Amino acid sequence: MEGVAQAVARRQEFGEKVRRIVGREITFDGEGFFWDPHQWDEEVAESLAEEAGLKELSETHWRILRFLREYYLQNGRSPLNRQIKEGTGISLMQMETLFPGGIKYGARRLAGLPNPRTCS
Amino acid sequence: MKKVSLNVNGVRRQFIVQPDYVLLDLLRKDLCLTGTKQSCDRKGQCGACTVIVNGKAVRSCLTKVADLDGAEVISIEGLGKPQNPHPIQEAFVLAGAVQCGFCTPGMIMAAKALLDENENPTADDIKKALRRNLCRCTGYKKIIEAIQLAGRFLRGELTPNQVRPDPNQGLIGVSHPRPSAMIKACGVAEFTADVRVPGATELAVVHSPYAHALVKSIDTSEAQKMPGVIGVMTAKDVKGTNRLKYIVSDRPILCDTKVRFIGDPVAAVLAETREQAVAAAEAVKVEYELLPVMMTPEEALAEGAPQIHPDRPNLCYSQPQVRGDAEAALAQSAAVVESDFSTQTNHQAALEPEACVAYLEQENGDLPTLVVIGRSINIHYHMSMLQDAVGYENMRYEEAYSGGQFGIKIDITSEGLAAAAALHFQRPIRYIPSLKESMWLTSKRHAFDMKVRLGADAQGKLMAYAIDFTVNNGAYHSNGNVIVNRAIQMLSGSYYIPTIKAMSRLVYTNTTWGAAARGAGPPQVTYALESAVDMLAEKMGIDALEFRLMNLLKPGQPRSTGRVVEQWPLPELIEAIRPHYDRARNDAAEFNRKDGVRKRGVGLGIGSFGIGGPGDTATVAVELDPDGGLTVFAAAADPGEGNDSMLTQIAAHLMDLPMEKIRLVTRDTERTTATGPAAGSRITYMVGRAMVDAIDKLKAAMVEGNAASHEQLRAIGRPIRYIGTKKNEDAGPLDPQTGQGPSFESQVHAVQLAEVEVNTANGEVRVNKMTTAVDAGRVINPKNLEGQLEGGMDMGVGFALREKYVEGQTKDWVSFKFPTIGHSFEMETIIRETPRIKGPLGATGVGEMTMVPTAPAVMNAIANACGARVRHLPATPDKVLAALAEVSPLGIPGGIISNGVKG
Repeated sequence: MEGVAQAVARRQEFGEKVRRIVGREITFDGEGFFWDPHQWDEEVAESLAEEAGLKELSETHWRILRFLREYYLQNGRSPLNRQIKEGTGISLMQMETLFPGGIKYGARRLAGLPNPRTCS
Repeated sequence: MKKVSLNVNGVRRQFIVQPDYVLLDLLRKDLCLTGTKQSCDRKGQCGACTVIVNGKAVRSCLTKVADLDGAEVISIEGLGKPQNPHPIQEAFVLAGAVQCGFCTPGMIMAAKALLDENENPTADDIKKALRRNLCRCTGYKKIIEAIQLAGRFLRGELTPNQVRPDPNQGLIGVSHPRPSAMIKACGVAEFTADVRVPGATELAVVHSPYAHALVKSIDTSEAQKMPGVIGVMTAKDVKGTNRLKYIVSDRPILCDTKVRFIGDPVAAVLAETREQAVAAAEAVKVEYELLPVMMTPEEALAEGAPQIHPDRPNLCYSQPQVRGDAEAALAQSAAVVESDFSTQTNHQAALEPEACVAYLEQENGDLPTLVVIGRSINIHYHMSMLQDAVGYENMRYEEAYSGGQFGIKIDITSEGLAAAAALHFQRPIRYIPSLKESMWLTSKRHAFDMKVRLGADAQGKLMAYAIDFTVNNGAYHSNGNVIVNRAIQMLSGSYYIPTIKAMSRLVYTNTTWGAAARGAGPPQVTYALESAVDMLAEKMGIDALEFRLMNLLKPGQPRSTGRVVEQWPLPELIEAIRPHYDRARNDAAEFNRKDGVRKRGVGLGIGSFGIGGPGDTATVAVELDPDGGLTVFAAAADPGEGNDSMLTQIAAHLMDLPMEKIRLVTRDTERTTATGPAAGSRITYMVGRAMVDAIDKLKAAMVEGNAASHEQLRAIGRPIRYIGTKKNEDAGPLDPQTGQGPSFESQVHAVQLAEVEVNTANGEVRVNKMTTAVDAGRVINPKNLEGQLEGGMDMGVGFALREKYVEGQTKDWVSFKFPTIGHSFEMETIIRETPRIKGPLGATGVGEMTMVPTAPAVMNAIANACGARVRHLPATPDKVLAALAEVSPLGIPGGIISNGVKG
């Protein structure tokens, strides 16, 4: 049976993490989503993309990331996949393969969108 | 079959019915009169289905239509419409007696039957007439007041317009009726089971009868052949992760290899009717291999205990808290009390069952949208959970009107089953589980076991607090770590305690799973702390009120998390309660001089409840409409608290608009911002403040552009839509070793005074009165605030004295011991308004805090009455008698106390 010390050590998976990226401290939630979408910029996105195995973000990547951000900032929520498709003209299949982790856990994280939760 | 003729709401009609067909079904199914509600599995326990037959209030779930030939039936729809309401409906709305609104139609019909016979009923008359009608929101006080107000309307002493607040009276601090109140009072607000879906099929679920077992096989062959059956769904038919992941991915929609508590869902049957689905579900044969059952954390933590989840130890979370050297401080304290306390697993007891509707909406050749309608209080997050669990992205969640919440909808249940079934069967689905099933499916309040030590110096100043607590998490995690953290973050309650030593453990067991329940962690630990405070005060011979007053936290001092507070307006509340405390003590002493068996006592409890947790964020959009009105977009659920009032009144005030010009869009993922759960009393503070931010931006744009209207903004190329946010910038986790770190941004405070009467012969306890002094910042709507306080105290007394969820035994409202109007008691509220620095117009939240200090106040009052210190909730008569026996070695009931002095 695991002891209290191990449980305490493991507990960090539940909380936010502050990481230093391109010289700035950025807060992520337990699933790696931005806590504050305004901490995002293109330089940070490039750094996170490299971490995720994308050496370079192509114009197609950027078209999707910019759409995600604009939609979020206008609507206060993330778009559904079909809305991304309508907004970018890129097929879902292509989008899923463009980002490691797909749209929800890849593109949305790179675009600096938060998880849709805020739980006190 | 039998043919009967009925007059329903003034229209005579003929029906041919089976002998056992009940009036509830006739009204809801045949006549679509869904204002008549169903909660208690047709046992006549809740009164939500009350209608009037031949002038008498009847429970339509027990009334056979075959016996009603020639009868005159009036349902809520026959009483009045929102445009032309009946005076009783007006009275309920104006008195603030409508919160979630699920019980309201039944209450109003019972009230009508009473008022038809007696236009001037006393409170006792009302309690007798409504003894079979349950309400979880109001504590019944405003319902009694509403019926007496209706009597005045009917007697012609007053008119509704004389009571209705004048629009010119202002918008803040005025009890304008809730925007949703009248449609609830008229029975036309649609709750999930009221939503009509053409061609909908009905789902029934097979639940595990075992607490821990491997699923060896599922034989659906018999069920598949039964009448009306469309199909049977098992875990392999769920195309996504089949896990409803709130924080940890551990809870299956349908169990695949293993069941972990009694009630775990194993298979689902779809049929043309609910009766057919339920019958077929009973024919599904599941072969189980039984595993060792661990019902308590002690069993689950025992050496060699098997893991309930393969990838996670049974001890699934732990958070210490250390501040200074508490052991040394305890050793140096002049007085120390040490005790253990426990709280029970409890049901939140929202009246509405866990209903859900799901269907596929086809749009012009695109992938269909899976629409889920349910009771979520966090529609965006829950939709995201569902998308992963059922493997389908194109989804919309719509929140129906919701029959109570109290934390139970922090996580979702029936939605997973209905959504998966809609996709698997490609049919519209209604899943309306029974109350018994709803109790199986849903989360509960966690049981806490706590060992505490509290020490003070010779002057009575608190020196140290040590607590070791273990939380029974049940079979699934849900938000268990959040509950533990909340308990840790509010551990020192209202006090300055210089040294702290705490350890917490969250443990998986084979019991019903825990999650949020009103207060969510603080009610449990506050019960222990506030009991210990009373015990220490008594040990030191210091008055309980003075002891609290001298130990209150002051601005500039830290809480147990180390975070220093800016505001702490509690001394004023203690002073406000003081005259009531003195009066109550004199009354009790006077009574106790006269009665040897019944003893009265007075107890205090204090709550300081954090709102706007670390990193909490809210987002709201507003749009200036072409007609000059304002539309507010935010997924701010309102399962009864009055969030619609709060948003409407603040927006109307800031925009200088009448309330009718404020439009709320809050229930639909496609149109709202994702703004977090309606939980933790955060909606007013967080979402209200985000809305203020959005309105400020709109108004700034109008000023900058010299634009006074929608058209003028458009003409100068400015947006008409603005996004506002509110964040607690203090973000990040607590330190894993010390529990020091970010905390809540705002606090609501209350002091509660309980006056109880203990029958020392049989252990029964009656609460005679609860008085609460509260400071929730600037008050937006006084009646809504009072309604939260009254409902919270009623719930707190239920938690203290009777309610308990017992695995396998609690199956309905009677076995749960739901507080009735007969248990209701006198309540008085004292409101102070210290504007909160960062709150919207100075306001903060209140709903959850209202029961935090109640249980300890009641327990302290019992101890004050007869010396019996009940340390394990609920304080049922057997526990009171046992506690009495501890202080009465001779075991003579009532023989240990004489005029408040131990004999």
